[in-house]
Amino acid sequence: MLFNMKKDTVVEFNKVSKKFCKGQKLLLKEALLDFLRPLKEDFWALKNVSFKIKKGESIGIIGVNGSGKSTILKLIAGVLTPSSGNVFVNGRISPLIELGAGFHPEFTGRENIYLNGTILGLSKKEVDKKFDDIVRFSELSDFIDTPVKHYSSGMYMRLGFSVAVNVDPDVFLIDEILAVGDAAFQKKCLDKMKEFQKQGVTIVIVSHSSQLVKDFCNRVILIEKGEIASIGLADKVILKYGQP
Amino acid sequence: MSGVQIPQCPQMKKLKFLQYQDLFWQLTLREIKVKYKQSILGYSWVILAPLINLAVLSVVFSFLLKVPTGNVPYPIFLFVALIPWTFMSNAISGATSSVIANSLLVTKVFLPKEIFPLSVVASKMVDLLLTGLILVIFLIIYKISFYLSLILLPLIFLIHVILIIGISLILSATNVFFRDVEHAVGLMLMVWMYLTPIIYSIEMVPLSFRPLFFLNPMTGIIDSYRQVILYGRFPDWLALSYSAFFSILLTFLAYIYFKNRARYFADVI
Repeated sequence: MLFNMKKDTVVEFNKVSKKFCKGQKLLLKEALLDFLRPLKEDFWALKNVSFKIKKGESIGIIGVNGSGKSTILKLIAGVLTPSSGNVFVNGRISPLIELGAGFHPEFTGRENIYLNGTILGLSKKEVDKKFDDIVRFSELSDFIDTPVKHYSSGMYMRLGFSVAVNVDPDVFLIDEILAVGDAAFQKKCLDKMKEFQKQGVTIVIVSHSSQLVKDFCNRVILIEKGEIASIGLADKVILKYGQP
Repeated sequence: MSGVQIPQCPQMKKLKFLQYQDLFWQLTLREIKVKYKQSILGYSWVILAPLINLAVLSVVFSFLLKVPTGNVPYPIFLFVALIPWTFMSNAISGATSSVIANSLLVTKVFLPKEIFPLSVVASKMVDLLLTGLILVIFLIIYKISFYLSLILLPLIFLIHVILIIGISLILSATNVFFRDVEHAVGLMLMVWMYLTPIIYSIEMVPLSFRPLFFLNPMTGIIDSYRQVILYGRFPDWLALSYSAFFSILLTFLAYIYFKNRARYFADVI
């Protein structure tokens, strides 16, 4: 199926639904039991969701816990496959779903930068080039040859964020992460995000914090029970969400 | 219709292969380094384990049970088969749990998932290289000449690796859905080892059973290793071609299976 996508559309959801089978059968035993009493409960995390995100847009996705926000991010990241409908993504995605995913505790900061960088889609040469920038941004140059298991959780996050922002993404996915780290580093992250915005990077933020979304996003999608309850300008949608 | 379509701009397409190649090496390097970092003896374990295995089996089978090995001493006869087997055994059991072990990555980042079992198999090749060096020392000690037939070694190894990749792909994908696989794989490998002429020779198998033994693709591979390294003979071409055919077909089907299953890894992991 071909999409008539305009050049400036970066992400497009076309009637996307995602079903999860409740009670995963991880052991053969359970599968056999399941076979004996075939009672399948399906859970629809997303139902018929359609939207478009244009290049350079900053879009917020809000909703209560379990409404399907993270499922949308994972579908954009290409980690999940939709049960029906189509997800169309154009460009390099930097998933911030979890910072430092793929860090190995036994590895030093330096080794983890290379590992994480290639995981996020850089070649080794590209990491070579960006290595100094990453270390400078993380402010961890004194600890760069220490195994990350000795890092504090704040340092861990800092290193993860520093790698992620240096990937030069076309689409930046953020899932509630800016709550970590001290105030100074948080501000640094926010500044970096603003810089990205100016450069025309597309940003998708998932959050239940209305304030962050309000500060950042021009458009907001409100998700309720897997469906789009409202979509539009930030102020209007956030009002509907019921939180100031 | 459903699916994720990720078109890439031309310059990305060129990079894509390179990009995953680098990731592949980084992951392989991780496997190798982690093993080295977590223990005091580190890499010596790689050599120690097969050596002890060899010593025990040699004592048992040289004194208690005579194995006809031609003019080759039993320990070296055993070692030549034990080394590739240990490599396969470690690679398969490591690869089986590799997707689960990387569950954080599977659920967070879009990656070609086969990179996990493949990098485990690649990392075990370092172990193989080290034990291979020990084998060379043994060959020199036992005064076994280096025959011209050794040029066939890469071909046999290639067939062997293809077989390992096929099995690893099937088991690692299945293990995501049924964790039983992880527990069963050790058992399966043990049974398989005794069904393969490793501690005994194929000549000890009664003639009427032999065709059955050669249905096992490892029989042809192990026998070929022995023929070219120890006896300076060509491998049994029929047996080796069967192993090659079996391995290639299996890996082809395994790849299709893995790709199909991989779409649901993040759902259940």
